[in-house]
Amino acid sequence: MQKRVAKLLSMLLVLILILSSLSGCSNKNTTNVNTGGDNKKGSTKEANDKASETTGDTAKNEEQITLTFWHTYGDGEEAQFTNVVLPMWEQAHPNIKIDAVRQDGGQFHQMIVTAFGTGQTPDVARIDIVKTASYAKQGGLVALDSFADFEAIKANFLDGPLSTNLYKGNYYGLPLDTNCKAAVVNKNTLATIGLDQAPATLEEFIAAAEKVSAPLISVSGVGDWDFYPYFWLFGGTLTDAEFTKASGYLDSQASIDAINKILELNQKKILTIKEVDGTADAWDGIKTGEYAMFFEGPWYFGSYEDNLAQGIEAALIPTYQGRSASVVGGENIVMFHTGKHQDAAYEFLKFMSSEEVQLAMLEVGQIPVLKDLVNNEKVTGNPVWSIYMKQLETAKARIPSPSNDEIGSIWSNAMTNIFINKADVASELQSAAAQIDALLVQ
Amino acid sequence: MSQARKKKKWNKYRKGIVAALPFITPGLVLVCIFVLYPMLFTLRIAFSDYQIVKREISWIGLDNFIHVLTAKNSSFWYAFRNNLLYALVTTPCIIFLGLFFAYLINNLHKGKTIFKVGFYLPVITSWVIVGLVFQYLFNSSNRGLINYFIVDVLHLSKDYIPWLLREWTGNAAIWIMGIWKNTGWAMLIYTAALQGISKDLYEAASLDGASSWQRFKGIVVPMVRPTTYFVLVNMVIGAFNVFIQVMLLTSGKPNGTTSVLQYLLYDKAFNQFKFGEASSIGLMTAIAIVILTVILNKGLKLDTVDKEETV
Repeated sequence: MQKRVAKLLSMLLVLILILSSLSGCSNKNTTNVNTGGDNKKGSTKEANDKASETTGDTAKNEEQITLTFWHTYGDGEEAQFTNVVLPMWEQAHPNIKIDAVRQDGGQFHQMIVTAFGTGQTPDVARIDIVKTASYAKQGGLVALDSFADFEAIKANFLDGPLSTNLYKGNYYGLPLDTNCKAAVVNKNTLATIGLDQAPATLEEFIAAAEKVSAPLISVSGVGDWDFYPYFWLFGGTLTDAEFTKASGYLDSQASIDAINKILELNQKKILTIKEVDGTADAWDGIKTGEYAMFFEGPWYFGSYEDNLAQGIEAALIPTYQGRSASVVGGENIVMFHTGKHQDAAYEFLKFMSSEEVQLAMLEVGQIPVLKDLVNNEKVTGNPVWSIYMKQLETAKARIPSPSNDEIGSIWSNAMTNIFINKADVASELQSAAAQIDALLVQ
Repeated sequence: MSQARKKKKWNKYRKGIVAALPFITPGLVLVCIFVLYPMLFTLRIAFSDYQIVKREISWIGLDNFIHVLTAKNSSFWYAFRNNLLYALVTTPCIIFLGLFFAYLINNLHKGKTIFKVGFYLPVITSWVIVGLVFQYLFNSSNRGLINYFIVDVLHLSKDYIPWLLREWTGNAAIWIMGIWKNTGWAMLIYTAALQGISKDLYEAASLDGASSWQRFKGIVVPMVRPTTYFVLVNMVIGAFNVFIQVMLLTSGKPNGTTSVLQYLLYDKAFNQFKFGEASSIGLMTAIAIVILTVILNKGLKLDTVDKEETV
């Protein structure tokens, strides 16, 4: 009898354990929600959402909403966003709280893919321009064309950055910031080869650099972002103007000559590729005076005064045979389909691309995307931003395609074969062009 | 009579099940949610065109498999070859080094723990940190320790070797990292096995005049055979799960020739949104592991080891 009671008791205890763990796992919201509109800071997002649902349409203005915003801002940009931009938003929209989450830049794309899979995407995110078409193709982003004032707003943006949001006739985001590569030069090192200022032409620089045996230009790697400016500078082309075909362009004689020119400079030890030659990092090398020049985005100039004191300054990329080139980068701000508060999210998108926010973020190196700000004195009066703005005029976009990652891989595989395995330039470019063709018709 | 006995037996069995049910249910539920369901879902995706955002799953039969296996630029066969090579190269090295160091440590009179900890440290060190250290070691110029020794100190080569950017040197770096990281684990398992060998055997061998090497060959190697099988099976299965080394050191460069199945799977799913193809790679990896395990079991007669030991 006693044994039986003990057995029953143990079963009962296990049952309680199961029930309690199951109830712990359940999603039931047990927080007391004050639906009167004065939610305290401690209340959760769910509580806010529930509150907003229960208040109904009549009290829409009182609705408390939380929008999740994912970004990959660096320390300085995050501080500016939190301390300057967010208070501006909160003042204008006291009922919409922004839950800004800084994600790791290296794994940001993977985070978003995972979020797609679990349906846990944020409401809004700041994403790389080259990812926009790819996310739009997956159906993860909201097309903004349906919003009433979008047509009017669209006209405010610079055409280049705006076009990176276009996929199959619809716009899936707003430009947030733009950038390109410009030259970063060390004037002290330039002086050692007899140049007293940043060279206007690459021919001039090469002639001077040939006198020394150590490489004076550094390129980080053979990937698209690092290599395209040189490829374009030396006369190469990727595709036709409409981005529909690579054959006949990437494998043209002009493109072969461009790659051969980079090979020649690399062999002459005028230009070094860190990934291939294992040489010093460009950021370090320019500071120590090992390098005279490398191409980089505006984020290099965190503190222009410090750099200037070391003889480092921004300059336009020197022309080659009268031609200049650079590659366009930047970020768009997009909203996801899973977001519950799409009107509020759209408001936030517009706010982030408004003139006052663009000017605030310019202070930490985020180059604005509005036409009205191109000639703003804050841009033109700054020795760095003015150079980048000027360089943007000759900067080209990477191939805007949902298969951007694959195209990038094809390119860097071809370059690895050429620069590391000494493969034949013409046949590598021909093979790469054929592979890219197949992706462009998709 | 027999009917009544059967009924009694069934009742006893039923009671046993009912009594055990509350205890196994939590585990069972968790296994179903976190293991069984994802596994079956992956199986379904492998035969479908899966659109992750739209949640559309359309059956396409074997198309994913065919594409992965036959696509013009598919890295699958490189990846598969690299997994096999990884198993072939690292497993014997890990077994030999693990046993060798365990034997040396076992024969020490003092400082056993220090050496055990020393050899085990790589196992518990973060993969990311180890990856960064190996990146530094195998740097393409004299900034890398290995190039510095080969070119600047020993003058064995005129040019610096871009280790991580070439097919075979890149693979070699991945193997070396795997061996370095796993030897400590094998050492620990062997140390435990060595402690189980009776001292009488060594004493008897000594009396018969056996040398150290003869004792190692004649006593240690045969006595730790079950452990060797265990390490072997674990390492071979582990070889098909290689991922972090590749991601940190080469990312499959150049042209996917240093890629492995798990890295290819990751690349397909997370960079290219091709979840169907990624799942089919996962499924093929699982099948390869099952086949290899069966071959190892049969070949090494693992299912008979215990019986032999007890006879």
